Order: sequence, then C-alpha cells, then structure tokens
Amino acid sequence: MKLKRFGALALATLAAIPTLMFTAGCSNDKTVTLRIFNWEEYIDEGGEDSWDGTEDAPAMIQRFETWYEETYGTPIRVEYSTFGTNEDMYNQLQLGDEYDLLCPSEYMIMKLAAEGYLQPYDASFHDPSIEGNYYAQNVSPYIRNMFESNRINKEDASDPSTWADYAAGYMWGVTGFTYNPAYVEGSELSELGWDIMIDPQFKNKVTTKDNVRDSYFVALAICYKDEIEALDPTSADYNARLTEILNRTDAETIEKVEAVMREMDENIYGYETDTGKADIVSGKIWLNFAWSGDAVYAMDLAEAGEDEDGNETESTLLNFYIPESCANLWFDGWVMPKGANKQAAQAFVNFLSMPENAVRNMYYIGYAGVIAGEEVLDYVKECYEVDPAEYENPDEEVVDYDLSYFFGDTVEEDNAIFPADRVQAEERQLHAHYPTYEVTRRCAVMDYYGEEANETINELWSRIKSETLDAWAIVVICVGIVLVAGAVLYVKFGGKLDLFRSRPKKGYHRIRQENCR
Amino acid sequence: MRLHFSRKMLGIPYAVFLLFFVILPMLVILFYAFTDKQMHLSFGNFIRFFSDPTKLSTIVYSLVIAFITTAVSLLIAYPVAYILARSKMKKKFVILLLFVTPMWINFVLRINAIRELLGWVGLLGEANYFNTILGMVYDFLPFMILPLYTTMLKIDESLYEASSDLGASAFTTFTRVTLPLSMPGVASGITMVFLPSMTNYVVSDMLGNSKVTIIGKFIYEYFGTNWHMGSMVALILLIVVFLSTWLTGGLKEDETVRGANL
Repeated sequence: MKLKRFGALALATLAAIPTLMFTAGCSNDKTVTLRIFNWEEYIDEGGEDSWDGTEDAPAMIQRFETWYEETYGTPIRVEYSTFGTNEDMYNQLQLGDEYDLLCPSEYMIMKLAAEGYLQPYDASFHDPSIEGNYYAQNVSPYIRNMFESNRINKEDASDPSTWADYAAGYMWGVTGFTYNPAYVEGSELSELGWDIMIDPQFKNKVTTKDNVRDSYFVALAICYKDEIEALDPTSADYNARLTEILNRTDAETIEKVEAVMREMDENIYGYETDTGKADIVSGKIWLNFAWSGDAVYAMDLAEAGEDEDGNETESTLLNFYIPESCANLWFDGWVMPKGANKQAAQAFVNFLSMPENAVRNMYYIGYAGVIAGEEVLDYVKECYEVDPAEYENPDEEVVDYDLSYFFGDTVEEDNAIFPADRVQAEERQLHAHYPTYEVTRRCAVMDYYGEEANETINELWSRIKSETLDAWAIVVICVGIVLVAGAVLYVKFGGKLDLFRSRPKKGYHRIRQENCR
Repeated sequence: MRLHFSRKMLGIPYAVFLLFFVILPMLVILFYAFTDKQMHLSFGNFIRFFSDPTKLSTIVYSLVIAFITTAVSLLIAYPVAYILARSKMKKKFVILLLFVTPMWINFVLRINAIRELLGWVGLLGEANYFNTILGMVYDFLPFMILPLYTTMLKIDESLYEASSDLGASAFTTFTRVTLPLSMPGVASGITMVFLPSMTNYVVSDMLGNSKVTIIGKFIYEYFGTNWHMGSMVALILLIVVFLSTWLTGGLKEDETVRGANL
C-alpha cells in the first residue's frame, strides 16, 4: 500500500512537470480545476477492461473533461487522487489538503458533516425538473429515501439535516460471506448465521476484514443474536430497532463484544484486506467475509478461471451468503468540503449519474451503483435475465426476481421483475449485486460512533489484535532484557573481562619479569 | 563583500537535507507525542502507553521477534560470509550475488511468493509466528551478509599467517583473529536487521495473516485514528532502537570502518 502510494506520488510529480510548464508558458485563466479524491480502483479507467472494450476507450475522467467543455464552454482539468481507507482520507483533509469532491462511506460522511467540514448541495441539485440534473432524475427511489431519511446527527434532535443535504450516492451494497460450495453447504450456513465466524467446524477456514468496524459489526450480530431473532420483521419499527442493536457501544456491550471477538480471533484463519479473494479461490479458506461488490468481482473472476492479474486458473464456482438474521448496509457518496468548487463538483456528480456512465462504472468496478432507470435495468437484465423456455424444469429452476423497490418509478411498471436463474437469485452474483427488498429490510446502517466510543472501540481492537502478556511475564522479560544489557555493558566498559583471551600460563609472569631486566 | 568559495560550502546541501528530512520530522514527532488532541502539552500518551499491558506486550513481542530474527540471520550469515571471504575460490562473487540478488526483486513479490510456498506446505495460518520470523529472516539476510562479508574481506591475510606461525590452532585463530576483527560487521549487521524486523508489518500481515501484531503495525493503525498516540509509540520505538544500537556498539566513533561497510 505504502509502495503503491509512493509510486503514485512519483507519477504525480512526473505528470505535474509538463502541466507546470504548460501553465507557466501560456496560462489560461478560464480553465477550471476539479480536485477529486476517490477510493482506489473505484471509477471506469477506460481501456480494454472497460465497457467499450477497445484499447483506446477513454477513461471516465477524460469523458467528463470533454463533456464539461462542450456543455459549459469552459475547459476543465480534473486532478484525480485516490485513498485506501476512510481514515486515510480524513487524515489528508486534516493535514490541510484541499479537494472539491470526496467519496467517503456513510459513517465518514456523518463524521465530516458533524465536524463541519462539508458544505451542502444546492437545493436545486435535487430538483428533477431542471435539465441537466441527472442525479435527481435517475437516482433510485430506494437510495433517495435512504439518503433523505438518515439523519447526520442522530443525537441532536435540533439538527434536522440528512445525508441528502450533504451527499449524493455513488455505490452501495451489503456484507456477507463468499463461500466455496465445494467445501460448504449453503443450508449448513443458514443454520449458523454469523456464528460461522466462531464455529469450530470452520476453524482456520474463515477470514474477517482487518478493520475494526466490520469485525465489530460481526461480533455485535453474534452477541445479540437472540435479541435480533426475537424482533418481529413485520412490525413497522423493525429496521429501526435492528439498527439500534447493531449500533450499541455501551460499556456492557463492549465487554460482551470483546469476549466474542476473542473467540473469533481464535477461530479464524486471519484478518485480510485483499488476500481473501485469492485464498478462497485457491482453497486455503472456505469462507471469506466480504462486501457485496468485492464478492461479485471475486465470483466473476473465479468463474472465468482467472486470477486478479489475468492469469488462467481453474474455474471455481463461488457463492455468496447473506446471514438471515441481519447484515450491514453501506453506502459511498460524493461530498463537497468547504471551499470546494460547487458548480464543477455537482456537474461531475451529475455526469456520473447519466445512466450510460453509471453502467460504465458498474461494469468496470463490479459494485452496484445508486442510479436506476431503463438503461441500468437493461444492463442488469443483460447480466442476469434468463429465458424460462431454455430450462427443462422452469418452475423449479427459474424465479421471478423483483427489483421494483430499487427501480421504482424510474422504469415502467413491472419492468423490474424479471425471470432469473434460481441459483443466481438465491446464492450467486445477482443476489450479491442487487439484494432483494427482503434482504435490505434486515440490513442495518452503521453510524459514526462519536469520538469517545470510537476511541474505546479502537482500544478494544488493539487488545484483540495483539497478544497480551500477563504482568509477571512482562516484568520477567524486562528484567531479562536489563540483565542482558547490563552484561553487554560490562563486557564493553568493564575492561577486565575479556572473553577471547585465555589466562596467562603459570610462570609467564616470571619469565616476562626476567626479560625486562 | 565578496563570497569566497570554501570547502565548507559543499556541506550546505547536506545540512539542509538533514534539517528538513531528519531533524524537523523528529521534532514534529516529539511535538505530537507530548500533546493531546487539543494541542495542549500533555503526558497522557506517555502514561497511557506504560499503563496499558497491551502496548507493553506488543513492544515485548516485537523485541522477541526482532531478537530471534537477528540471531537466526546472524547464525546463517556468519558462516556464509566467512566462507566467501576466506575461500580461494574463483568467481566467488557469483555466490555472493546469488545471496544478494533477491534484494533487487520487489519486496512485495518476494513475500507473496513465500506466502504461496507456505500455503503449499500447509503452514500458512497454522504457525503465524514461525512464518513471520521465516519471512523476516529471508528478507533481511542480505543486510546481514553484506557488512559481514566486507569486514571479513578487509582482515589482513598476514594476521592469519602470523597466527599460524605462532602455533595457534584453527579454532584459536578464529576466536582471536577473525571473531574480534569481524565484530564491527556483526554490529552493523545487527543494526540493519533489528529495526526493520520490529517495524516491517507487511511481513507479519502477509505471512501471519494479520494475527501477529508488531510495533510497526501499531504505529500504522494509530496514525489512522490518533496521531498523538502514534507519535508516542514511534518515539518509544526510536528510544528502544537507539539503546539497542548503542549496546551493540554501533555508535562508537573510533570504528569508522563500519560506515564504509554499508
């Protein structure tokens, strides 16, 4: 990661030289700059792997630059940089780096907004009747509702602002497990739910993410399993109550979570950030905690029989399992820090929200975008729709997959219900890519915990991750170190002790004295 | 006033470099370590560090891992360097090169390769501490061999001749000529291996499946959330390394040969 960043820095420096020369040579005052800070590999970068599939297919950024100049008549230059974690991004901001557009996850959006880093979108941005407001026109009603109903500051009742005030969605998904059906039965998993993580039959065969929030969520789901299962899914406040349970950070919870996390630590194969995909394909592990977009990508690669570098491997079928009790629902969205060029930033979000561009990005990065509409639906259908006539036993093997909740009124009525392969719909890509309404109902958003709780949870995490010795062991080892150090010092400065010189033989002194005379 | 060019002026770029890339960063670390989030002077981080068994344990674990790595590297590297330096073999540089070339291959690639090998043998995920130390030894071995080899090469042949003229056995020659004269190489080898094996968390993440936490990972994680605590841990690591370097004799001024070895 570090190396990657250094490389990027070096490249950026190299790239900056001609730019500097250019601006020094003939400065064009009219050129607008848009500074974007996004996740690594989180946008269409053009080329052969892109939707167009040709070597010279332009990247999304280039498309935007051309489009902007054509639409607004002013040339624009995008300065695009990437980050690896939400915390890295936050640090860069704190260091005083300036950007026009950022793409953090939901909890970081809440934190940034609460700390006053962000400026709201124009009120007109959300008005679909204005031409050019592609985001407002195309965003999925489900996502719009999510962004409008989740408050930035849940504690403070006097602050009515919602995500929608500060953020426009980009990608979203749920969490679950990718698993290798060669080793694990789907029905076995359904019995266990999140307990997979602590079940001895998967000892050293399951991984979790090397990041505190994801692992904390899993531990919470295990801790409060009974309470969650006792909730009535038909009640109106079901999701609110579920969300409350999965956002607890009180002292008693922390204590319970710590015990569960210790159990997890004993049971799992390891913590990973990106080795999980390769390890599950190679059979080192059977189950891998994953974000839905990553899971789709891993399943596609494994199925095509390719590894991440494009080398051929055996074709493996992987499945995705979303526990029945609950799962984590996450969103990444575009926000504008204070001082940002709002006009250009909003234009960029709108550009990405044009259905064709949304499809391009989704195709390239594998996650589900927030944009709905006929073109996106066509893309989804192209990927997953099947013809029941081709099946021997369509009643068994084909199901009607209903995405009406997501596409809503952006498509013609009933268009968002299409026949899909049962396996796809219940345990493979489709189920991970666009979960059904029933799945999203049992998904909870994890809020920003607040400064104090965050600190406590980080401390908890470092306790879990490191082996803690008993006090006496520390004392013994420290005394040992001091003794060794003392011995070394004595050898060095004591002078008298010379390990490599044997004692003088008897009579040696006398002879020497005689010689002296 | 005329500017006279003096030899001292050649040192200015170095002084500027040291100021900006060594002294200032150290001061920044010192500043962050002893302030709290409101930027007030505070010893809170210091107290928290030494009252938290997790952090002390991690330091101790890192020390032990670094110690074993250094000892194993030394045990492997010393005979290799000795044989290479003393043998009359032609083309022995080829052998030396074979030991050193891995250093020219990208680090991440090498660790990934070891990871695959360990997975193949079946050790990955089973023996996390062993894997971590194995990876570190493999990775840092050239840093041990090179200084040892160059110091041993510099030992004057006539000393060996004198030793055997005086009737010393091969063993005595080794303990009284080779060993003492190669000590500077040992010391610099230790310094070169000890510090990275306390901080290189990429190895422990990749080969120990992130289940092994060393002090470097700690610093990295704290810099994601709390720079002040991260700086404090970095500062303490600095002191630990300074002390161990001083103990192995890396700071004695008279042994200037060592500088040339690196």
